[in-house]
Amino acid sequence: MSSLLGLTLFIFVASVVAGGVGSLLGLGGGVIVVPILTLVLHLPIQYAIGASIISVIATSSGAAATYVRDRLTNLRVGMFLEIATTLGAITGAYIATVVFGNVLYIIFALVLLYSLYPTASRLIRDRMAVGAGARDRHAEVVVASDGLATALNLGSEFYDPAARRTVRYGVRQVPLGFAIMYGAGIASGLLGIGGGVFKVLALDSAMGMPIKASSATSNFMIGATAAASAGIYFLRGDINPVIAGPVALGVLAGSVIGTRLLARLAGGTVRLVFAVVLTLLSLQMILRGFGVRL
Amino acid sequence: MKGIRNMTTPEPIAGDLPNMPTTEDAAKARSTERLISTVLRGGVLLSGGVTLVGVMLFFIQQGSQDLGDVTKVPYPHTLGEVFAGVGHGSASAVIMLGLLLLIATPVTRIAVSILAFANERDWRYVAITAVVLVILLVSFLLGKAG
Repeated sequence: MSSLLGLTLFIFVASVVAGGVGSLLGLGGGVIVVPILTLVLHLPIQYAIGASIISVIATSSGAAATYVRDRLTNLRVGMFLEIATTLGAITGAYIATVVFGNVLYIIFALVLLYSLYPTASRLIRDRMAVGAGARDRHAEVVVASDGLATALNLGSEFYDPAARRTVRYGVRQVPLGFAIMYGAGIASGLLGIGGGVFKVLALDSAMGMPIKASSATSNFMIGATAAASAGIYFLRGDINPVIAGPVALGVLAGSVIGTRLLARLAGGTVRLVFAVVLTLLSLQMILRGFGVRL
Repeated sequence: MKGIRNMTTPEPIAGDLPNMPTTEDAAKARSTERLISTVLRGGVLLSGGVTLVGVMLFFIQQGSQDLGDVTKVPYPHTLGEVFAGVGHGSASAVIMLGLLLLIATPVTRIAVSILAFANERDWRYVAITAVVLVILLVSFLLGKAG
């Protein structure tokens, strides 16, 4: 077997792992596959980002199909804020051409650390607070729609099977959410990631949407956001099919395996180990950004 | 995203019917959601299948020779090159076609949503969604220029 075929197989296997770990930790595959492709396989970062943005479309569209069918997604909020994320994605794809590769490593590592923080802190808290009542303590507050949200008809409802009731909710602070979404789009276009952590921040923290509707709507928006920069990366020649093909298939397969299988098998300790490994990977990316190769 | 699939059962949808404005509006909204869901799932399956065929073709074609560095393998950069390459049975062009179908999936979803909002007579969202579609199409033109 030639070394090229071996590398292609290795890329595929690494992407399956990235997709699986990503779904276990509630992260997208992109934020994990880029460090693996660059640090472990020593591929140029622009190919890693080009491959990653493609895989992001695959995983988010697959998951979004389920959430939309189950009526968790707020289509109006998603469509309206996609104006901001797609504009941001175009901006990000152009910023990528003017920043140096080593700066890209550092920005990527910081975003990865930021994305890991909510998952890691929850895992650590779960380990500390052993016993009943540690989970789901915070009752979610549903807000009323403010003027602009009412004008845009953004309020909606979904059926929460866990609570066995329909949750009706409003939306507020649309301009703030729009601004954060533009930033989320820049992160996505610049780094080739879904940027779900920023999108959920806008929907949940800024606009007051319930977390289930926020994550479903975020997922829905990720595909359209990624398509905006993926088209640019394709025409620029940064999407190398020999890399991006196995990455897209691998991350998609990994995320399906992760959601259906690993989520039941892997406990908090396994997840925490993965979170630590990813933290170390991001520190290694920062070092690489400063020219230190380990 | 994890876990929600397991918690969601198909039947409770009937429980929120009284909250909807009219049953006709509700039915239209539901058919919009079904349509969007089908477009997304169909796009992923189609592009995944084409990409898989391309990757397997790549293994068959490259099995006998070693091109060395993965970054040196030639591949198409434009739509025209992709289609021409697929015509010649080039593996990298077939993979690229699969990836382009994936990029086209959210674009198709948006185009279909415009029709769905028009069917609901929600003209404001017909306009909003059309703006998103235009931004996406402009991004492809920008990529071509840059």
